[in-house]
Amino acid sequence: PVVLSAISAASSTTVEIATDIALKRMLNFNAPPLKNTAAEPVWKVLIYDRFGQDIISPLLSVKELRDMGITLHLLLHSDRDPIPDVPAIYFVMPTEENIDRICQDLRNQLYESYYLNFISAISRSKLEDIASAALAANAVTQVTKVFDQYLNFITLEDDMFILCHQNKELISYHAINRADIQDTDMEAIMDTIVDSLFCFFVTLGAVPIIRCPRGNAAEMVAVKLDKKLRENLRDARNSLFTGDSMTAGQFSFQRPLFVLVDRNVDMATPLHHTWTYQALIHDVLDFHLNRVVMEEGMGAEPSAGARPKKKSRKTYDLTAADKFWQKHKGSPFPEVAESVQEELDTYRAQEDEVKRLKSIMGLEGEDEGAISMLSDNTAKLTSAVSSLPELLEKKRLIDLHTNVATAVLDHIKSRKLDVYFEFEEKLMSKSTLDKSLLDIISDPDAGTPEDKMRLFLIYYITAQQAPSESDLEQYKKALLDAVCDLSPLNYIKQWKAFTKMAATPANYGNSGVKPMGLFSRVMNTGSQFVMEGVKNLVLKQHNLPVTRILDNLMEMKSHPETDDYRYFDPKMLRGSESSIPRNKNPFQEAIVFVVGGGNYIEYQNLVDYTKSKQGKKIVYGCSELFNASQFIKQLSQLGQK
Amino acid sequence: MAVDITLLFKASVKTVKTRNKAIGIGFDSTKDEIFKRSRPKSGFSPRAKEVITNITKLKDFLLQHRKDYVSAGSLISSDLSRMTDNDRDQIDQDAQIFMRTCSEAIKQLRNEAEKQVISAQIKEHRGAVLDLIETYLKGVCKLYSEQRAIRVKRMFEQENQRLISEMNSLVDEVRQIEGKVVEISRLQEIFAEKVLQQEAEIDNIHQLVVGATENVKEGNEDIREAIKNNAGFRVWILFFLVMCSFSLLFLDWYDS
Repeated sequence: PVVLSAISAASSTTVEIATDIALKRMLNFNAPPLKNTAAEPVWKVLIYDRFGQDIISPLLSVKELRDMGITLHLLLHSDRDPIPDVPAIYFVMPTEENIDRICQDLRNQLYESYYLNFISAISRSKLEDIASAALAANAVTQVTKVFDQYLNFITLEDDMFILCHQNKELISYHAINRADIQDTDMEAIMDTIVDSLFCFFVTLGAVPIIRCPRGNAAEMVAVKLDKKLRENLRDARNSLFTGDSMTAGQFSFQRPLFVLVDRNVDMATPLHHTWTYQALIHDVLDFHLNRVVMEEGMGAEPSAGARPKKKSRKTYDLTAADKFWQKHKGSPFPEVAESVQEELDTYRAQEDEVKRLKSIMGLEGEDEGAISMLSDNTAKLTSAVSSLPELLEKKRLIDLHTNVATAVLDHIKSRKLDVYFEFEEKLMSKSTLDKSLLDIISDPDAGTPEDKMRLFLIYYITAQQAPSESDLEQYKKALLDAVCDLSPLNYIKQWKAFTKMAATPANYGNSGVKPMGLFSRVMNTGSQFVMEGVKNLVLKQHNLPVTRILDNLMEMKSHPETDDYRYFDPKMLRGSESSIPRNKNPFQEAIVFVVGGGNYIEYQNLVDYTKSKQGKKIVYGCSELFNASQFIKQLSQLGQK
Repeated sequence: MAVDITLLFKASVKTVKTRNKAIGIGFDSTKDEIFKRSRPKSGFSPRAKEVITNITKLKDFLLQHRKDYVSAGSLISSDLSRMTDNDRDQIDQDAQIFMRTCSEAIKQLRNEAEKQVISAQIKEHRGAVLDLIETYLKGVCKLYSEQRAIRVKRMFEQENQRLISEMNSLVDEVRQIEGKVVEISRLQEIFAEKVLQQEAEIDNIHQLVVGATENVKEGNEDIREAIKNNAGFRVWILFFLVMCSFSLLFLDWYDS
C-alpha cells in the first residue's frame, strides 16, 4: 500500500498531494485509505487545535471529512462531552497546554481509543507526560497510535504554502525587522520558521540544495535549516529521508532547488495594486486560507434602490475542485468578468436543453421511469438527469463567482484601482508617466488614503534618486491632506538607505501596460459586468525581482545580484562554506521561500514564469501571507519606533 | 512523511512505570478494567454496529450471487449455476425486505436518539453516525438496483428479441403472400385477355348461328314448299301415270 500511494504521488510531485495523502492516512487511523467506496463506515471523532484546523481546512471540506467517517470535529480547548464508544483522532501541536489537555481527556475517559498525531515532532519529556497520565487513568491500551506528522505548514495551493496563520504576528515582517529585537527573540523566530520548513521537506520527501543571499534573515534561516537537515541525515536510525518513508521525492531524479529570499529584496510588490483575480480578491476582500468572507449587500448598486439592504455575511470556499477558479485565478480581471458571463450563458443553454428533453419526453418531474425504454432519447435523458447535480454545482459556482467578482468590481470602480495599477506598473518599469503623482494623490475621488500611501511608497521605493526635499515636502503635504498616515514612510526611508548601501536596488524589468481602449468590449456585450470607465488593461509578461532571482539560480545564469549567494548542500559530508555550486545543470524543480512574508502577486508572477518554461515545477512559500493593507500596518508600526 | 512513534510511547510508558515503582506509586489496575468491560449491551453503538454487520451481510450476499444473477441465458445450457427467474425473484424480494428492515432499524435508532436526553455533541455524533450508515445502505441498495436494472433491461431485451423475430416471420409470410397475389393478378390478366378474345369469337359465332338459324328456317320453308311442291308434283305424276294407265287400258279395250 505504501508503494501504491507513492507511485500515485509520483506522477505529480506536488506538496499539496503529499499533504493530502498524509492527512487522509492519518484520518484513516494511520493506514492507507481504501479505494473501495462501498466499504463499511467506521466512525471517528477529530480533535484539533487552531493550527491543525488551519492545516486541514484549505484541503478538506466538511463534507469530505464526513465522507471519511468523521462525525464530529472539535477544537481541543473546547468543552467536549464524553463519547465512550468512539475512537478519537487528535491532530495538534505538541505544546504545553495541548499536552495538558490531552492528559485531562485521558483522565476523564472521554473516548474509546486515542490516535495522537502531532503536527511537529514531540519531545521525549512531553511524551512521558502523556505516558504517566495514561498510566494514572489506566488508559495505556486505549492510546492506540502516536505519530509525528511533520505537517507544520499550511498548503494553500498545489504550488503554494505558508507557515502558519495563527500567531503569525510572531514571525511577521514586523517581528523580524523591528529595531528593538533581541537575539533570543530572533533565535525563537528562526527556530519556528526552520521547524516548519523542515516539516515541509520531510513531507515532500526530498533534500534540497539551498541558496540564499548574504547578510539577512534569509541567511540565518538557511544556515539553521542546513544544520537541521544535516543532523537528521547523519542519524541513520531515525533519518526521515530514507527507506520507504519517502513518497514523492523518491521518484524525481533530481534534487530540488530551495531559494530563500528576504522580503527586503523587494518592498514594492507587496504594496502594488494588482489586476489578476486571485490577487485582487486578496487585496480588496477578506480572503485567507482559501476562504472569502463577504457581507451580502456589499457594494450595492445605487440603482438597486435607496433602501438599505440587510447585511449578512457569506463565506465562500475557493477550492481545487472549482474548475472556473483554477482556470481563472491568475487571469486579468476583465477576462474573468467575460468568462463568468460565458459560463452563465453555457449553463443556461444546458439548463434549457435539459428542460427541453424533459418536456419532449412528457416526463416532467419523472426520472427513473425512463430506464425501461431503450431509445436514444432515453440515453440523452438519463445523461441529462445524472448531470443535474453537476449543473446545480455549476450554478452554485457561477453564483459564487458572480458575487465575488461583483464585489471586486465595485471596489475597483469606487477606488479607481485601474488607474493605480497602471500608474504603478509604469513606475515600476520606469516608463514615462502621463499623469503626475501629485495629481493622483490630491484627487479626492481616486482611492482610499491607504491606496495613495501605497502609490507614494512605490514611487519612493522605485525612484532612482530620492526626490528633492521640496518635492518631498509637497508630497507629504498632499498626503496629509488626503488623511494618510505617514509613519510607513519613515521606515521605508531607513530601508532605502540600508539597501542602497548593501546591494544594487531591485530592478523591476521592462513591464508594460497597454490600455485597450477606454471602454471595454465587455460593456458592449450587455453583460452584467458593466465596466464603463474602467480601463481594460493588458499585462505584459515581466519578471518581478523574486522571479528574476529564481530564474538566475535555477538556470545557473551568472548575474551580479545572485552570484554572491551562498550554497548549502545538506547531503555533502563536509559542511560547505563555499558558494561555488557543484551542480552545473539547470534545476527542474524549485521552491522559493520569502522570509518576512509574501503575497499573491509574487505567486502569480512565478506561476506565469513556470508556464513559460516547459517541465519545470516551482513552489512558492512565505512565512506569512499579507495583503497590502496588512503590510502597510506593519510598516506603520515599524515607522513609529 | 509521518513517523510512527507508538513504540517510543510504549517505551515511555515502561520508563514511567519503572520510575513510579521506584518512587513507590502503584496503580490499582484490576478494578477499573472490570468496570470498563461492563459497557451497556443495548447502547447506541453496539446496535449501530449490528445494523452495519447486517448491511454487510446483505452486500456479501448480493455480491456472491451477482454473477449468477446477472448472467444471461447463455447458449451453454449445461451451466449448472444458472438461475431461474424464480430464484432471481426470490433474491429480489429477500433483498428488498432486508433493506426495508435495515432502513427501519436506522429510523428507529434515529428516533430514539432524538428522544434521549443527551448532550448536543453526542446528538450530533449519533446523527452523523446514522447518516454514515444510511449512506452505506444506499450504496448497497445501489448495488442491488444496478443488478436489477441489468436484469430488467435484459428481460426487455429478450422480449424485444422475441418481438423482432415474430415480426420478421410475419414479414416473411406477408412477402410470400404478396408474391402469390402478384402471380394471381398476372394470371387474371391473361385470363381476361383470353376472355375478351373469346368474346369476339363468340360474337362471331353468334352472328353465324343467327344466320344459320335464318337459313335453316328458310331452308325449312323451302323444304316445306319443296315438299308441298313435291307432293303436288307427285300427285300430278300419279295422275298422269294413272291416266296413262287408264288410257292404256282404254286403248287396250278399244282395240279389242
